[in-house]
Amino acid sequence: MTRSVAGAQAPARPRVMTSAWRSARLTPYLWVLPAVALFVVFRLYPLAFGLYLSLNEWDGIQPMVFRGLANYRQALFEDAVFWLALWHNVVFAVGTVVGKNVIAIVLAVLLNAELRGRTFFRTTLFMPVVMSFVVVGLLWGWIFNYQFGLLNNLLAAAGLESWRTDWLGDPGIALLSLIGVDVWKWYGFHMVIYLAGLQTIPAVLYEAAIIDGASAWQQFWRLTLPLLRPIAVVNVTLALMGAFNVFDLIYVMTQGGPANATNVVMIHAYLQGFKFYLMGYASAISYVLMGIVIVLSGLQIRLLRGESYEY
Amino acid sequence: MSTEMTLRRARIFGGTVRYGVVGLATLVVGYPVLWMVLQSFKTKFELYSNVWGLPQQLFLDNYVQAWRIARMGTYILNSLIVSVSTVAIVLVVASLAGYAFARLRFRGRELLFYTFVFTLIVPVQVTIIPLYAVVSGLGLSNTYLALILPYAAAGLPLSIFLLRAFFQSVPREIEEAARIDGCTEFAAFTRVVLPISGPGLATVTILQFLGAWNEFLLALIFIRNPSLRTIPLGLQAFFFEYSVEWGYLFAALTMATVPVIVVYVLMQRQFIKGLTAGAVTG
Repeated sequence: MTRSVAGAQAPARPRVMTSAWRSARLTPYLWVLPAVALFVVFRLYPLAFGLYLSLNEWDGIQPMVFRGLANYRQALFEDAVFWLALWHNVVFAVGTVVGKNVIAIVLAVLLNAELRGRTFFRTTLFMPVVMSFVVVGLLWGWIFNYQFGLLNNLLAAAGLESWRTDWLGDPGIALLSLIGVDVWKWYGFHMVIYLAGLQTIPAVLYEAAIIDGASAWQQFWRLTLPLLRPIAVVNVTLALMGAFNVFDLIYVMTQGGPANATNVVMIHAYLQGFKFYLMGYASAISYVLMGIVIVLSGLQIRLLRGESYEY
Repeated sequence: MSTEMTLRRARIFGGTVRYGVVGLATLVVGYPVLWMVLQSFKTKFELYSNVWGLPQQLFLDNYVQAWRIARMGTYILNSLIVSVSTVAIVLVVASLAGYAFARLRFRGRELLFYTFVFTLIVPVQVTIIPLYAVVSGLGLSNTYLALILPYAAAGLPLSIFLLRAFFQSVPREIEEAARIDGCTEFAAFTRVVLPISGPGLATVTILQFLGAWNEFLLALIFIRNPSLRTIPLGLQAFFFEYSVEWGYLFAALTMATVPVIVVYVLMQRQFIKGLTAGAVTG
């Protein structure tokens, strides 16, 4: 409307330019508008609203009651299960980060050389990545079955009768079993990423090392490993974030049991929110977890990054 | 003994160790999956008496029962509807935004782009409770949209990030030629840039399809109606209701998994590239 008024007063040529100029300025926003709309409604707003929720008491139906920082106080100072769950996340993180990365580096180095059947090995090793946590969890639930499971029967067949264990029922073992399954699902994934990293190391460096008389062992420790550092940062970050946000696998396999032995923070938050309908409290727990993950990722990126190499 | 012989022995030994380690790691991954398929063909008696061997015959009743009782057909259809819709929305919305971030100039472009990227460090799970409030507030609970829209929104940041990088790698001359021929910016994008963006779009498709196909937590919370269950939710519910009928469960698991694995094996190069894209470029 204003445009036609302005146009009536101004000469013809600038008017055309103004409208073209204006549409050129506005159209880029139309391109990003659908993305921004979806993102704001289902990603940014929940992120902000959750922070507000965490300061309230809410059962999902009745009006909220403002509690200030009471939910955080409760989580950090009164809820022993929260700390137990967080401790399980730490154990899970150490176990899976170390397990996945050690296995993945070894396999990547072995597969990086000429090897018959390389594609077959790589394809099979990566396969669990396309399987859902639910399928993996249910499958391993049966593998771990005390009487009719694969693992105990293989042990018996190998004459290791005494090693038979109640893999998910024994509180001292259950968390380790879950760590094993998570490592199983992801070591092929991390191996592929390390392989990509190995391929960026110039062959000249190895030639020079061989001329200097370095053994294969020395080449690995002095050359390969330091040069893999940037890619290790990526792998450790991914594994670390996965370990602190773990939910599906544990929900499907043990639901946090037996007797809280495998309870982790996301399971605790889920139960508080959707079983006891303490949604404000569950939000507070989630936000504490998010803070921890962000701080830890930042810290380890700083620690691991070290100096960069140029070649 | 000559040094040449020692070297050769060392090489043969090294090769054996290499095959041994890689072979073992591959067996540890492959055998449980193979076992799942083998179990699905065993009778109830065999499941208890012949735990790790081959099935005596191809017993197909487990599949009939899983299809009938577990309603696997319904779950597969639901998962297809949800996953395909999610991919379609992400492809359209993220390629428009990715192109704008790569090529168009506007105020706040970088700020907006990095706001998207920032949320990559905040998993959707963390915001599950406020998201639940949003979804039920919009009246979407117990509809396909309760999953499709949050999945699409959660998939946007990485998709936009990857597509922006892809579009930046397209030579500007191609678009400029199209513009000189009288194309609008939008026509240059849809008729010239998109048709040569197959690899970038394939990466996003694989990533988002598998993400939606395998997602569990949101489905667990937003879907209460059994006939709207996706595969992961259906499998988990079936497991709780029929935990004695092992044969059915293995058949259901196999039905849910094998088609995806077959597609993966056929297109393994694209899958591996797509699923590690975030890690390798980020």
